[in-house]
Amino acid sequence: MEQKATAAPIEKKTLIGQRVKKPDAPDKATGKTRYINDMVLPQMLIGKVLFAGRPHANILSIDVSAAERLPGVHAVLTGKDAAGLKFGFVRDNIPLKNKVRCEHDEIAAVAAETEEIALDALSLIKVEYEDLPGVFSPEAGREASAPRIQDNFPDNKSLRFEFKHGDLAAAEAASDFIADNVFRPHHVTHCCMGTSCAIADFDNNGKLTIWTQTQYPYNYKMDLAPALGISPGDIRVIQPPVGGAFGSKLDVYPYEPIAALLARKTGRPVKVIYSREEEFKASPTRQAAIIHMRTGCKRDGTLTFRAADVLLDNGAYTSWGPTIPVIMMRTTSGHYRVPVVDFQAQAIYTNNPYAGSFRGYGNVQTTFATAQQMDILADQVDIDPLAFHLKNAQKSGEVTPQKSFLRECVLAECLETAAQASDYSRKRAAYAAERGKPGRYKKGIGLASSIHNAGGAKIHKSDGIGTILKVDDYARVTVITGASEIGQGIDAVINLIVAEELGVPLEHVTIVNNDSDIAPWDVGVHASRTTFIAGNGTRRAARKAKAQILNAAEKMLGEPAETLELRGGSVVRDRCGTPLIKLDRLLRQMHFQAEPELVMVTDYYEPNSEPEGADHVSDHSAAYSHAVHIAEITVDTLTGEIKVDKITSAQDVGRVINRMGLEAQTEGGIAIGLGYALSENMQLEGGLLKNPCFRDYKLITAPEMPELEMHFIESNCAEGPYGAKGVSELPTIVIAPAIANALFNATGVRIFNPPLSPEKVARAIHEARQGGN
Amino acid sequence: MQDIKTYLTPRGIDEAVRAMAAGDVTVFCGGTDLSPQVESGARQYTATLMNIRRVEGMSGIAEAGNLVRIGALTTVTEIRRDPLIARVAPILAEAAEHFASDQIRNAASLGGNICNASPAGDMINPLLVLDAEVELACWQAGAVATRRVAMADFFLAPRKTGKRDDELLTAVFFARPAADFVACFRKSGPRPALEISTVSVGIGGRLDNGVFRDVRVAMGSVAPTPLRARNVEAALEGRRLDADSIRAAVAASRSDAKPIDDVRASAWYREHLVQVFTEEVLNHVLGN
Amino acid sequence: MSLATEIKFTLNGRPVAVRVPATMKTLAMLRDVLGLTGTKYACGEGECGACTIRVDGKTLNSCLMHAVDCDGREVVTIEGLKTPEGMNPMQQAFVDHGAVQCGFCMPGMIMQADYLVGENPNLTRAEAQRGLEGNLCRCTGYTKVLDAVGSVVEQKCCGRR
Repeated sequence: MEQKATAAPIEKKTLIGQRVKKPDAPDKATGKTRYINDMVLPQMLIGKVLFAGRPHANILSIDVSAAERLPGVHAVLTGKDAAGLKFGFVRDNIPLKNKVRCEHDEIAAVAAETEEIALDALSLIKVEYEDLPGVFSPEAGREASAPRIQDNFPDNKSLRFEFKHGDLAAAEAASDFIADNVFRPHHVTHCCMGTSCAIADFDNNGKLTIWTQTQYPYNYKMDLAPALGISPGDIRVIQPPVGGAFGSKLDVYPYEPIAALLARKTGRPVKVIYSREEEFKASPTRQAAIIHMRTGCKRDGTLTFRAADVLLDNGAYTSWGPTIPVIMMRTTSGHYRVPVVDFQAQAIYTNNPYAGSFRGYGNVQTTFATAQQMDILADQVDIDPLAFHLKNAQKSGEVTPQKSFLRECVLAECLETAAQASDYSRKRAAYAAERGKPGRYKKGIGLASSIHNAGGAKIHKSDGIGTILKVDDYARVTVITGASEIGQGIDAVINLIVAEELGVPLEHVTIVNNDSDIAPWDVGVHASRTTFIAGNGTRRAARKAKAQILNAAEKMLGEPAETLELRGGSVVRDRCGTPLIKLDRLLRQMHFQAEPELVMVTDYYEPNSEPEGADHVSDHSAAYSHAVHIAEITVDTLTGEIKVDKITSAQDVGRVINRMGLEAQTEGGIAIGLGYALSENMQLEGGLLKNPCFRDYKLITAPEMPELEMHFIESNCAEGPYGAKGVSELPTIVIAPAIANALFNATGVRIFNPPLSPEKVARAIHEARQGGN
Repeated sequence: MQDIKTYLTPRGIDEAVRAMAAGDVTVFCGGTDLSPQVESGARQYTATLMNIRRVEGMSGIAEAGNLVRIGALTTVTEIRRDPLIARVAPILAEAAEHFASDQIRNAASLGGNICNASPAGDMINPLLVLDAEVELACWQAGAVATRRVAMADFFLAPRKTGKRDDELLTAVFFARPAADFVACFRKSGPRPALEISTVSVGIGGRLDNGVFRDVRVAMGSVAPTPLRARNVEAALEGRRLDADSIRAAVAASRSDAKPIDDVRASAWYREHLVQVFTEEVLNHVLGN
Repeated sequence: MSLATEIKFTLNGRPVAVRVPATMKTLAMLRDVLGLTGTKYACGEGECGACTIRVDGKTLNSCLMHAVDCDGREVVTIEGLKTPEGMNPMQQAFVDHGAVQCGFCMPGMIMQADYLVGENPNLTRAEAQRGLEGNLCRCTGYTKVLDAVGSVVEQKCCGRR
């Protein structure tokens, strides 16, 4: 029986732009969620790793006999058990080492019945080392006399990248001003609150199941397989809830194949989990670099060129860190309108810890340089500082020298919005005028912007996503997506999109995304791609389902599908909202009719970006966006302490989908950027980490968070889901140079080596004063 | 593996010190220093572990004649919130306000902070300014015997005090400051708390018609132990507190402070901060 | 092997008796012996607050507290905040205000936030920032956490009128 046509009309209400709660929040808020760190499997053993604790050495002998004999120990593995198992995309890494190349090299691994027994077993392993001279900077690493760190890489030269466009000499000659500085972005680390953890178990068919924190389940199989000598097809990847990732889980790290090797050896599940100290020492870092950057312009403010010569500390092995030049060059060539570009980057192996990817991926480092040089030049040109930014800001439709096509570009609007909201120009001038006057506390205001990918980066053959969607007889929707939820809130976005398209309540949507045997392909969480690509995939799948449902409705109700909509759990007449039949009823009718129909759809969405290409000239992301941060600070010129009073941000988000999630990601991204700017620093001496603890590695705490005023500019990206662009990296990228620029505004002191710690600032001010500044 | 054979929870001081007389006892209350130190391997448990949190007679903040007595088990939160401390020794409340985190303040005992004897010990600094004494108890000839030691003499080396292994720190005493006593405590940031201080300076004294007397200057993290800065005190004692004497005090701080380079700060910065804080604290005291 | 001691205490309102080694910390007892994994290990040295629980009405870091010291006391963990009717107001506020992202630090954060408002119903935002200084979070920047705390203060305040 159909619903009476006299039932109350259902109004169209969109969820786009609303505040939608994260579906897993209640379980997380009550402590019910079982993170991978909490998991216990029957018969599970605990795996612990013996780390070298020294940066460069030959291993003369390893004696594991006492460890093996300890009651409760089920396996002890060393380098000989990993022979030939090379992994990493330049195949320079191996799960258990035969030579020590950095402090956290894995020398042996134990599986035991308890963590206590495993740790005791480690202490019984006797290793004889022959220490070798170490290399602790890329400059030292490329000296002819430097010891070779990796056998297949003479001269310690790792990856090299180059991009050149235009006549640099002519551009230099045409410049009235050139900012020429060396920046040294430093080693920091992700500090995920959930420490690294993997659980591995082989079944009796030789198939591996690995519970992992990975944020890229498919290519992860491909990268893990060689470390175990098995086929990627024989690996099942399960992603339980994780305590953060931020890019640290975009590669395979040795503890993961170690868990699998121990599981294979013992025939039991093995859980390897790091202590916080191990997490600090043995996790990938953000890529540290030495950036010699030059930016030129004419006195009328037109930028003439940007040149960057970059040296990267590759560390002992190659993970994603040394590939950041792919993005560094995009900033170098695309941050503002730059006619001539000269970029080169060389990574050099050292005995330092090695870098992976970290939110902002190369752009944090590069923008720290480009945005400061913009600020330097702004004080030299004939025009007003804000006008200098606006003059060089690209507009919609422009193409960068690397062919990044800025279809929808609102950098100018972001600049104007942020500057107006913060009264930037007046304050900048006023504070600069106060600089030389007496007074302990100085106020400063600093502006920085950047450009970043907002729709992935086609560095792999595919940047796409598979989605499977079904709607059952109760009108409950299950979305099986390749998109990984790592805390960033893609679950809420997918939830929202499904509810929006199918007119079902948010609570009636289930997302399945954590098992590679079930969920289809996705490249993973990176390059600010997930909202864009998973959002589009979800929307497309949902619309396929809707089309099928409305076609069925047309057959049953005799009204054209184009005049129907799904709203409030019913099929309605689109124009007036009159409900015609409840959705669940329709689905049951579809199911039990003569020719049964279940709603099960699939979709594969590949964004319309171009592969990176060896020459790096391609439209490699489906979208790009900009953000502007204006930081207002108070500097204690005696202690050097910087208090960030307020941050005003304006970011091109394309379209706000989940407003609450967007704010949350912006706030969190800024906090990570603030730590980078002010307080976080891995203190490496001779390749050893001196501060592997929260006591001495300073994250931003609640009292240190400033007032945030966030403006979300909607440029309505044609290709993005509902117009949305990816968002989560720009907040981390832009804040540090905004603070550095504010520091200069307040004190006349500019710092090129983050963090802008109190001691560094105090020293710089002290030295400037002594220099009779 | 830690091999603890006996776990004790004494209810009285006598019970506690009798057990300590036998030796080999690790004492704890909140465990906020013991736990991380054992975790890192800096310390080992001994055969006997003794929880003194339930010992009667070691808690509370009260006046005892012209003295103020703080039981060793008093938590930092209790000190922070105590009305008597707020009235008579606000510098102690100020240090408590900037001590670690709320969770640690709720569990950390005054006695533990003192016995841990870190040069950065935040509760130690104001107690030096208050010229406090510690009371130590031990079992002697069949009874509880106590003695008092001036805090200024109590710290011998990093993590080493004048307390014997068989002694229990039961209370801290300080003379109730005179009505004209002024004091101020400053610790390095940038966080308001949750910092092992890079430098801390506490200064107190009687300000009588502009003349500064009975001056106590305490410094943290600039020497192997928390210290009374005697040269700074000498530069201030009995003099008018003004720009000149403050300048002299700041200059004198360089001979008291002997900071080192470490993972938290360089010697240069510590020396710089000591001067900045000395001047700041004295100006604050003067302003009041 | 360290000495094992029997202790009895109240856990989330119910009496419990358990045998623990003297060296064990309360965090390990909760997670590994009692199976309450809501309370998290994130540093083990009292610097991050992820292990925050409430003991005799006061919050502390369970990674620093010896398990044997729970004897005779009232212990409340994140699992004990929920009522049969649903989440407690602070938990609900965290959900409603988008304060939960990866969520790993949230049990400790919520325990501390709940305690702060209980101690001071007139808690200001600045006081809340100070009160949460011992709870590290890498995802949120604390902003929505503070919004959530503020909303509970407002609720309590309006509820009393």
